[in-house]
Amino acid sequence: MGYALNFNLIWRHFDKLWGGLLLSLELAVISIAIGLVLAVWYVSAGRAVRAAIAAYVEFIRNVPLILLVYLVFYGLPTVIDLAYSAQTSFILTLSVYSGAYLVEVFRSGLEAVPRGQLDAGKAIGLTPWQRLLHVRLPTMLRITLPALSNTFISLFKDTSIASVISVPELTYGAQWINFNTFRIVEVYLITTAMYLLTGYALLFVLRLIERQFRTAR
Amino acid sequence: MSTGSNDTPALLDVSDVSKSFGAVQVLRSVSLQVGRGEVVAVIGPSGSGKTTLLRCVNFLESYDSGSIRIDGKEVGFRETGTRQRRGERDLAAMRAETGMVFQSFNLFPHLTAAGNIMLGLRKVRGKSEAEARSIAEHWLGRVGLAHKADSLPAELSGGQQQRVGIARAVAMEPKILLLDEITSALDPELVGEVLAVVRSLAEDGMTMLMVTHEMAFARDASSRIVFMADGCVNAVGPPKEILAAETTNERLRTFLARFRASHF
Amino acid sequence: MLTQIAYALPFLAQGFALTLWVSLLVVVLSLIAGVLLGVGLVYGPAPLRWAVRIFSDTIRGIPILVLMFFVYYGLPAIGLHLPSFWAAVLALTLFKTAQVVEYLRGAVGSIPKGQSEAAMAIGLTFRQRLAYVIFPQAFRRFLPPWINGVTDAVKGSALVSLLGITDLMQAINQVIGRTYEAMPLYILGAVIYFAVNYALSLASRRLERRFSFIRE
Repeated sequence: MGYALNFNLIWRHFDKLWGGLLLSLELAVISIAIGLVLAVWYVSAGRAVRAAIAAYVEFIRNVPLILLVYLVFYGLPTVIDLAYSAQTSFILTLSVYSGAYLVEVFRSGLEAVPRGQLDAGKAIGLTPWQRLLHVRLPTMLRITLPALSNTFISLFKDTSIASVISVPELTYGAQWINFNTFRIVEVYLITTAMYLLTGYALLFVLRLIERQFRTAR
Repeated sequence: MSTGSNDTPALLDVSDVSKSFGAVQVLRSVSLQVGRGEVVAVIGPSGSGKTTLLRCVNFLESYDSGSIRIDGKEVGFRETGTRQRRGERDLAAMRAETGMVFQSFNLFPHLTAAGNIMLGLRKVRGKSEAEARSIAEHWLGRVGLAHKADSLPAELSGGQQQRVGIARAVAMEPKILLLDEITSALDPELVGEVLAVVRSLAEDGMTMLMVTHEMAFARDASSRIVFMADGCVNAVGPPKEILAAETTNERLRTFLARFRASHF
Repeated sequence: MLTQIAYALPFLAQGFALTLWVSLLVVVLSLIAGVLLGVGLVYGPAPLRWAVRIFSDTIRGIPILVLMFFVYYGLPAIGLHLPSFWAAVLALTLFKTAQVVEYLRGAVGSIPKGQSEAAMAIGLTFRQRLAYVIFPQAFRRFLPPWINGVTDAVKGSALVSLLGITDLMQAINQVIGRTYEAMPLYILGAVIYFAVNYALSLASRRLERRFSFIRE
C-alpha cells in the first residue's frame, strides 16, 4: 500500500475543478431551459406532430448519450455546413437529450391534472388555449416539480460526458489534474465530493422551491 | 369481573391494558371479557382506541401494561417473572389461535381465493395440498363464493374480497375471530352480503370481537356492546341498554346521536 | 460509401458482441450484489443498513464516467492491477448495483403494511411471511423497472470505449477513423443501440401490464 495521500497538488489546481463545476452547472441550466421549451412545445402541439415527437423521444432515450455527443460534434458538421465549438455542440446535444426526458415528465404531469379543474375551466368558458395556459400548465408545473428537480440533477451529472469532447467542465478538470499530477485518488475523491455536495445542495434548494409552490395557491 | 352467562372463565380476558404511542396514551387501563360463543361489539368515536385494542389481542400492537389472555394464556409476553416478549415462533403460534378480518381486506394478491385460504392451512396447520384445498372449498362455499375459488383478488368485488378474507380467517379454526371495521371500506350495497356471513358464523357459535360502525348490525348480532371513548371503556351492556334512546350517559348519547339521524 | 461500411460490418459485429457481453456481465453481477445488499438494506441490522445507504447514495450521486475513471485509474494506484476490461466491468457493476438496491427497496417498500399483518394474523413466522407473502409480491414489483434499467447497463457500456476497450462505440469510432463516413456510422450505431434497448423497454412495459394485478 505504497500510496501516500497528498492533496496539495489538487489545491494548487483547484481552479480547474471549481471552474469546471461552474461550467457544468451552466451547461445543465441552459440545456434544461431549452429542453423545457421543446417539451412545452410538444405538449401544446397537434396530434401529427406528437407522433413524430414521441418517436424522437423514444429514440433519444434508448441511445447512449456519448454516441449522441459524438454524432452532433463530429458527425453533423460533415453533412451540414455548420461549424460550432465543442461547448455549443454539447449544449445542443444535451438540450435535445433533456427535452426527450422532460416530454415524458410533462406528459405524465399533464395526465395527472385533475379532470375537475379542466371541467371547471370549460364551465367558465375558457378556450382550449386559455385552458392550457391558465389551468393545465400551472397545475402541471406544481405536480411535476419533484420530477423536474430530479431531471435537473441528472442532467448536471450528465454534463460529465462533455469531457470527452474536451469541454472544460468538472470531469475534464479532474482528468487534467489526473494526467498532469498523477494524484488520481486525491483528485477523484475531491471530484466525487464536489458532485455529491453540489447534488445535495441542488436537492435542498429545489425542495425549498417545491415547498413554496405547494403553499402558494 | 363478569363473564358471559356461565361461571366458566372467559375465552378472552383483557385486564387493565394500557398503551401509549409516544406521548399519546391510546389505551387507559382497559378491561374486557369475551366468553366462549359470545359476540361482542366495540363501538366508539375515532381515536377512542378500539382498533388498537383489537390489534393488541393478536399482538399486532404491543401493549405497555396489563394482560391479555386467551384461554388463560398470555398473548404477548412470556409467563416468566419479568415482562419478556414472546419469541417469534411462540407469537406465530398464538396468532394462529386468533383470526383477524381487516378493513382493507389485505388479501394476498398473488394467490387465488382458494390459495389465500390454503396458505395458512398448509404452512401453519401442516395440512396436505388436497386437505387444504377441500377445507378452502368448504369455507368458500360457506361464504357463497365456491365458484370463485380460482379467481385472483383483483377479479373480485370488495364484498367478495372481504368474504374471502373472512373465510381465510375462519378456516384456521381460531378460538376467537377479530373483526376490524370490516365493512367500512365497502360500497353500501356490498355491506349486506358480508354482514350476512358474519351473522351466520355467529349463529354457529363463533366467538367474536368486532369493532364496527354498523349500529343496526351490532344491535342484532351481538350479545354485548362495549362503548369506548378516549382510551377507556365507557359503558358495557346488552344492546338494548346501550343503544337505548333514553340513556343517561352523556358521552354515549352524543356519539349515538350522530348515528340516530342517518341510520336508525 | 456503402461498400466501405459493408467491409466494416464484421468488425462492428465484434464490437457489438463485446457490448452485449459487457452488458450481460454487468447485469448479472449487479443483480446478485444488488439483491444481497438490498435485502441487507431492508432487513439487516442498523450498521449494515447505514453502510448500504451510504454506498448507494454516493454511487448514484456521481456521474458514471467519474466512477469509471476513479476505478480505472485509482485501483492501480493503490496496488490493484486489474485488466482494463475488468476494471470497466467493475465500475459499471458498482453503478448498476446501487440502482438494483433502489429497485429492491422500492419493490419491498411499496408492499402495503397490511400484507405483513394479514400474514401475521394467520400465524406465519417471519421467514414464512418473507417466503410466501413478501417475496412473491416484491419480485413482481421489482421485475419491470429492473428490466427497464438494463437499458442503462447497455447505454453505460458505451463508456468503456473511453478506456480503450473495443466495444460497439469504439468500433464505430475506429471505422470512422478509417473511412471518414461519420454520419452513416453514427446513425447505424444509434439504430443498433436503439433496437436493443427499445426491445428491452417494450418487454418491461409488457411485464408491467401483466403484473399490474399485484398492485390492486
